[in-house]
Amino acid sequence: MAIAQGHVGHVSAPPATTVPAGLAGWLSTVDHKRIGIIYMLAAFVFFIIGGIEALLMRVQLGTPENTFLTPDFYNQLFTMHGTTMIFLAVMPMNVGLGNYVVPLMIGARDMAFPRLNAMSVWLFILGGLMLYFSFFAGGAPNVGWFAYAPLTQKPYSPTFGVDYWILGLLLTGVASIAGALNFIVTILNMRAPGLSLNRMPLFVWMQLIVGFILVFAFPALTVAQIELLFDRHFGTRFFVPSQGGDAVLWQHLFWFFGHPEVYILILPVMGIVSETLPTFSRKPIFGYAFVAFSGVAIGFLGFLVWAHHMFGVGLGPLANAFFAGASFLIAVPTGVKIFNWIATMYDGALSLTTSMLYSIGFIAMFIIGGLSGITLASPPVDLQQTDSYYVVAHLHYVLFGGSILGLFAGVFYWFPKVTGRMLDERLGKVQFWLMMISFNVTFFPMHIIGTDGMPRRIYTYESGMGWDLWNLVATVGAFLMAASVLLFLWNLMVSLRRGAPAGNDPWDAATLEWSVSSPPPPHNFDQIPVVHSRRPLWDHKYPEHAGDGHGASAPDPLVAGFEQPAIHLPSPTYHPLILGVGLTTLFFGILYSSIPPLSISLAVVGLALVAFAIVGWVRDSHKDSPYAAH
Amino acid sequence: MGTRHRPPVRRLLYAVLAFGALALAGCSTLPASTLDTYGDHARRIHELLVPIAWMALAVFLVVEGALIYTVLRYRRRAAGTMPRQVHGNTNVEIMWTIAPALIVVVVSVLTFRTQAANSQMPADALKIHAIGHQWWFEFRYPEQGIDGADLVTASDMYIPVGRPVTVQLEAADVMHNFWVPKLAGKTYMIPGKTNYLTFTAEQPGIYRAVCAEFCGEAHALMRFRVIALEPAEYDSWVAQHRVAPVIGGGGVLGGDPNRGKELFLNARKLCITCHVIEGTGAKGIIGPNLSYYGSRQTIAAGIMPYSPENLERWLKHGYEIKPGNLMSRVLTRDWIAANLTDQDIKDLVAYLDSMKVNVALPPAR
Ligand code: HEM
Ligand SMILES: [Cu+2]
Ligand SMILES: [Cu+2]
Repeated sequence: MAIAQGHVGHVSAPPATTVPAGLAGWLSTVDHKRIGIIYMLAAFVFFIIGGIEALLMRVQLGTPENTFLTPDFYNQLFTMHGTTMIFLAVMPMNVGLGNYVVPLMIGARDMAFPRLNAMSVWLFILGGLMLYFSFFAGGAPNVGWFAYAPLTQKPYSPTFGVDYWILGLLLTGVASIAGALNFIVTILNMRAPGLSLNRMPLFVWMQLIVGFILVFAFPALTVAQIELLFDRHFGTRFFVPSQGGDAVLWQHLFWFFGHPEVYILILPVMGIVSETLPTFSRKPIFGYAFVAFSGVAIGFLGFLVWAHHMFGVGLGPLANAFFAGASFLIAVPTGVKIFNWIATMYDGALSLTTSMLYSIGFIAMFIIGGLSGITLASPPVDLQQTDSYYVVAHLHYVLFGGSILGLFAGVFYWFPKVTGRMLDERLGKVQFWLMMISFNVTFFPMHIIGTDGMPRRIYTYESGMGWDLWNLVATVGAFLMAASVLLFLWNLMVSLRRGAPAGNDPWDAATLEWSVSSPPPPHNFDQIPVVHSRRPLWDHKYPEHAGDGHGASAPDPLVAGFEQPAIHLPSPTYHPLILGVGLTTLFFGILYSSIPPLSISLAVVGLALVAFAIVGWVRDSHKDSPYAAH
Repeated sequence: MGTRHRPPVRRLLYAVLAFGALALAGCSTLPASTLDTYGDHARRIHELLVPIAWMALAVFLVVEGALIYTVLRYRRRAAGTMPRQVHGNTNVEIMWTIAPALIVVVVSVLTFRTQAANSQMPADALKIHAIGHQWWFEFRYPEQGIDGADLVTASDMYIPVGRPVTVQLEAADVMHNFWVPKLAGKTYMIPGKTNYLTFTAEQPGIYRAVCAEFCGEAHALMRFRVIALEPAEYDSWVAQHRVAPVIGGGGVLGGDPNRGKELFLNARKLCITCHVIEGTGAKGIIGPNLSYYGSRQTIAAGIMPYSPENLERWLKHGYEIKPGNLMSRVLTRDWIAANLTDQDIKDLVAYLDSMKVNVALPPAR
């Protein structure tokens, strides 16, 4: 690849584009912004599907001894609901926002590996579709999102559901690991001049940490899933206790991934509110270093606590004590973050926009989830609460009250940047209050029925246990939550067409993404800025309030102070998509290994597509330069 | 920036707290409440939960209070106000790193103490094997066996009050989980691994219990009862159970127990392929042991109270009552209809009902 000539001064129009119009443009895109949008839209669709599954379950549980759903279908629903929300809704939503925002925040023109980025988004979507295909191929997986052995073995789970679960998630796993590496390299290598790690926006910090967590945590799941696949298809015995295998091994592998996974779900959201709270308080984040490093501490400790999901498994009091201690310890960095957020607001000039309300709601609900996490982290107490509705309450306070509310904060915050239009604030606020109330109506009672002995994952319960009323309340709450989501959908559609124009910087924010137009041009920055502080745009707007609190006032960041490189963007390509389709086809071939002719033809077609895509992909990079030269 | 009119948020908070307190107080006598304990293991957990819950409530009030105060206080600044640009304060931050650390140390110490107490296994404890099957519980009493064989029962676990019981937990197929909320915290039953759980029932009673780990289609219908008897009464139960059951008394539902016994032992009617009744030669091991079935508290692993009528329903409609259960799967609906007449079923019910143990039952808790 030729290094482009140095090019100083203002670049007027974005380069004449070779991007195809319409759908073709989206399918062949390598632009991190478009990829981010695809991620977010797909995640939102999966969120709706997961929500519908939840509503069906709530109807079934609304009254005792209900026969609305068959037991097996209920079991499929809770498996798919959990798997969907975690792997297909919250994770990709985080990735999508990160994809869109991170390069803009660090003054980059794209992700480090744009084609890999495209491959990731397609693999995520194809993996999700493959998983959902199971509904039409003999039944969805019905073993729970953590799929404990040996229930997952063929004799106990004879349908293809478990195989779809394994292979669909393996596809999304490849997407996640590739995506994580992409984030790590992008953030470490592509920051604008002067944007040291110590000046990086906290959202970027959290995405960086999550990148590392992902790279270390996901392989454990992948290994476990491949072993399970071999057990089911090729006669190995990894998880078959009656033949020398070990059922508990699955739990170790799964939770070694599973606990870090919860931080993969929450840290980016902590990053979001670490951006929104300062903006809407017109203050810098309080204790930048503490917030950043508590994220690192959480990421690290997150690998030392997995067996707190296994206190009942009988690992022995010593092991339980160790994992309990480590779990308690996580409360410390978590607490630090919460205190710093409140201190950020303290003495600020708050503007309670919808985004800000959601950020505050996030803190308020996350506190409750953290506190119920403490009781669960105490092994004796956990033995009464684990596998009961109390855990269901806990995990929804952290994942819905935490991740999802925080994601709403992020969506309301960056929607104007992405679309150039504002979301309607009035609708947004109504939706926020409806959401806060209905969320608590739905999930708070679950603490109570869990304490009253209601186990989780039951499709029916008998009357007279004292659970009837709270279950009905939770069901009503769930429908109110659905109404709130519908209101959001309405807001999206109305605002996309008629929302007020946003301008570059509607929130008077501090970070670089707000210095460019909304939506940003394909190349993001006409000139790569030089950064001298944590709040480059703020310092540009308010030189008298500039700097990071060390006294020295910084030079204006938005004036280029170096030789600008020519704009160099990769050209569109279908090869990542083709590779994804090929890999998916191959995986279908593996899934139907019991039907050799079908299996072999699918595998051959899949491998051929993969080979074709790889060859094309390698040649793609030679096409980049003409686009850059405009 | 006043807080003149009473903020609705605060009122809401009070309401939530009052409501939470009421709800928790009200639930303590419910059938499966973890706060209404009758066993030492569960009681110690409850005693540990209480201080942790108070600390959590205090943290909740302080932190949510600080949050709400900050929001209410600073939300009405005139537009365009430029607040002081404070970037942090290391001393304050160190302080609020240490504060949660201290709380956590206290919680840890309390936790480890309870852990130590709850993992004791006294040598003189009564040993019972509990084995999880899809979807019922089997109980074996190795110390009270008959001629070297265990005393075996299912779905009702009898224990003496006041004596520690060590339950040895195993699983026959997939993972299950043994949970008696009022007596002890739950513990997994894992194929290929043996777990132990020791607890002492402190009051006589019939306690509800369930499988707490998802174990397949009928997991929701996998329950059992623990029946804690005064020691003398327990000894009497054991003594009666060690003798093979005989037909006692006449037939219920107009069935003939003697004919029922013949049907039960008739290989072509298939009962004995899966079930044991001591002293009859029925030696199937796939299903629950049915000795003294007439004294069971429930039918089909805790899902219906025991009565001859419910037993008849189970034999006729097991398919609908407990979807997926192995008995209905193996026998199939059609087979039952084709091979057992209504009178056959009544006779079988009369036979099973006729085998009774005579003990005074404690109250259901
Ligand atoms: C103070 C911090 C936290 C502590 C001490 C904590 C502790 C625990 C413990 C001990 C369990 C196991 C419960 C059981 O099954 O017995 C658990 C479950 C869970 N936690 Fe947390 N947690 C914390 C924060 C979080 C966060 C931040 C998230 C995600 C955003 C999260 C998500 C979950 C999920 C999804 C489960 C349930 C897994 C399942 O059984 O399906 N937790 N937590
Ligand atoms: Cu965890
Ligand atoms: Cu179960």
